[in-house]
Amino acid sequence: MTDRAVAPLLAGVTIVEISRGVAAGYAGRLLSTLGAETILVEPRDGNPLRHEPPMLPPTNEASALFAYLAAGKKSVACDFETPAGRAELSTLLAAAEIVIHDLRPEERIRLELDEEGLRARYPKLVDVSVLPFGAFGPKAGWQAEEINLIHASGEGFLLPNGLAAERFPDRPPLKVYGHFAEYQGGVVAALGALSALIGREHGGAESVDVSVQDAALAVGAFALQRLGDGSLEHRRTRSFKYGGVLECADGYVELLTLEERQWRGLVELMGRPDWMQDPALADSLERSRRGAEINRAIRAWALEQRTADVVAQAQTLGVPMAKYASPAEVLSGAHERARHLFQPVEIPGADRLPMLSAPFHVDGAAPTLKAGPPRLGEHQHLLTSRRRRDQPAVTAEVS
Amino acid sequence: MKPLAGVRIADFTLHAAGPFCTHMLSQLGAECIKIESAARPDIFRKPHPVYGRMGPASFDQVASNKLSVRINLKDARGVALAKKLVGVSDLVCESFRPGVMERLGLDYAALAALKPSVVMVSVSSSGQRGPDSHFAGYAPLFGAWGALGYLTGYEDGPPVEMRHVMDHSIGMNAAMAAVAAVYRLRRTGRGGHVDVSAREVACSLVGEALLFAASGGEPARIGNDHLRMAPHGVFRTRDEDRWLTIAVRSDDEWRILVRLIDAPYLLADPRFQSAAGRHEHRRTLHGEIEHWTMTCEAGEAERMLQAAGIAAHISCNMEDIAHDRHLRDRGTVVDVEDTTGHQRAALKVPIRFSKSDAGMARGTPRLGEDEDYVFGELLGLSCEERQSLIDQQVIY
Repeated sequence: MTDRAVAPLLAGVTIVEISRGVAAGYAGRLLSTLGAETILVEPRDGNPLRHEPPMLPPTNEASALFAYLAAGKKSVACDFETPAGRAELSTLLAAAEIVIHDLRPEERIRLELDEEGLRARYPKLVDVSVLPFGAFGPKAGWQAEEINLIHASGEGFLLPNGLAAERFPDRPPLKVYGHFAEYQGGVVAALGALSALIGREHGGAESVDVSVQDAALAVGAFALQRLGDGSLEHRRTRSFKYGGVLECADGYVELLTLEERQWRGLVELMGRPDWMQDPALADSLERSRRGAEINRAIRAWALEQRTADVVAQAQTLGVPMAKYASPAEVLSGAHERARHLFQPVEIPGADRLPMLSAPFHVDGAAPTLKAGPPRLGEHQHLLTSRRRRDQPAVTAEVS
Repeated sequence: MKPLAGVRIADFTLHAAGPFCTHMLSQLGAECIKIESAARPDIFRKPHPVYGRMGPASFDQVASNKLSVRINLKDARGVALAKKLVGVSDLVCESFRPGVMERLGLDYAALAALKPSVVMVSVSSSGQRGPDSHFAGYAPLFGAWGALGYLTGYEDGPPVEMRHVMDHSIGMNAAMAAVAAVYRLRRTGRGGHVDVSAREVACSLVGEALLFAASGGEPARIGNDHLRMAPHGVFRTRDEDRWLTIAVRSDDEWRILVRLIDAPYLLADPRFQSAAGRHEHRRTLHGEIEHWTMTCEAGEAERMLQAAGIAAHISCNMEDIAHDRHLRDRGTVVDVEDTTGHQRAALKVPIRFSKSDAGMARGTPRLGEDEDYVFGELLGLSCEERQSLIDQQVIY
């Protein structure tokens, strides 16, 4: 049931974001979508991601990446190198609950934004650092982009698996598309920021340190557990014994049958061919042993199938199968539309476009995207008008 | 003290994604009470032939630090007991197929009627609502539905399966949204329902590509390429299956790299004068870079490039990670003792606080290990009442 009258989860929370990279930007974006006011502080010439591809056609003036990361945020341009700029930043920080940044440790000291400086001047402010390898440790100063981080966290070495690994056994390991590790860093930074905000009630404000490598490794924890079992995972040996990526007449589907009833459903789905009636195949370990042989038959069958039909039949029979959906198919998907996953926003330099809100519903509805990405300095007035808000105003906002 | 100290979770989650969510929250200080039964233990507690594992390794990974109680939810008295537990909890987490909690009488509406301030987090394949909400799925299917699988792969190859990282990404998103809901609860007293959709998490990880597609662009599989940077890739080194990742971001870094690998002819090559030219001719360029990396030991080359300010890292396998000095110094990789007394490397919640603690304080609980505390102290059941429920297989 949708209850629009309920305040968003983070109503009344103000966040200052000083970011260059995807991870810190995504943390600010998540919190903004959950109802916080996120103020993106940009250098005078703008956040560098404003120029990062892919650029939105036809004019190629706006970055899709920046638009996605900055949706709903406010923008102020501020030059920290000048005393006036630092005073402006100070005004923002004095009225904020959280600052999220990806400043290097030496920059923090220079800008008096190190932990001691922050605590002395803004005793209630939670500060969250999001760096490729974190703010301390032997690699704290190391440079990294997404491709370095997905490999520093172990998942890169383990990809591709399945069909791609079979077809190209000699190629280099493969990164996940886009900014997978950096997005993990963003989710973890948002989690850390909110945990510290709750913890502030009993322990006071504190500093939070997030490393993109740590975050991406955390979601790859299974492979480290396997090492504890005595098994060093490798991309060439971690494929499913049968199923996986299947090529159909008009695209690819994923098939994964882990339970007995799912295997029986697959037999039905394939029209009960003779070879599947072999009593020995009723045993899951035997199927596992004869995986390659089973897969040859499944693949030959799949090539004759059309994706939409076979997926619909499979789900009816309880066989876990999904189409490898293209972005265009996801955008037009009936399920995604019903859940308002994509919401139209204005993007300066491009059109009004549907943009992903958040991967969850709250109080019965997708969180509402407040706006598209801001123009550089669109909310410059915040630098002068912002004052520490009085408590009655905050209470009114959240109630 | 941990930041979420004082938050209690009634944890009905099973398998990977949901339990990973509560595993994060428990390491951040929440008291997490895992609910199972002998009739239906978490399937991850058992050996699993698909993975060939004989111990509950992946269970340790998501269950350590939790408390364990047995409640037979097939019995109405078990449901009543579960409701009592919800009554003393702040947060309820579950990862059944949509509809199951409702059949049990434990859906959000029922629990909110009982306790208006309850926060519930549901994790499912496609979300609680929508035409596909009944779909069954696992990690590779979420990646397939959400375009992440479609977009990942070699340029001339098929899509790629997302594995456990997909499940755990879902759990991490769920943990983040759960804490946001707890924040509102603490501030306003208001509960709420968070409905996490696994396939939408996959979508969210390629949100910029989906936006590009919405504007008429056609994002596609590009292997290890970057849309702007070159050199950018994974390169062979002197040793078998030891790979080095390199990303060159600017003209300055390009010139530094060329000096470092002592290949001045590359600077003179008109194809490689500009960033756009290097990107256009990246195949040739990457061949040139690999000439050099093939002569290098991966770790040495990594340190040399980093010393010059160039983004580089070896492609780590789990042995590398288990012994990595940086990860050990950060407390990211820690040694824990498993249920058999064997030491293994494990991962701590990936957040460091300047004052608060975080991490694991105890190992995997035995099924029902914490019933004295939970049923006795928290719910105030007498020994006789508990014994009676055990005899009737309600606590089972």
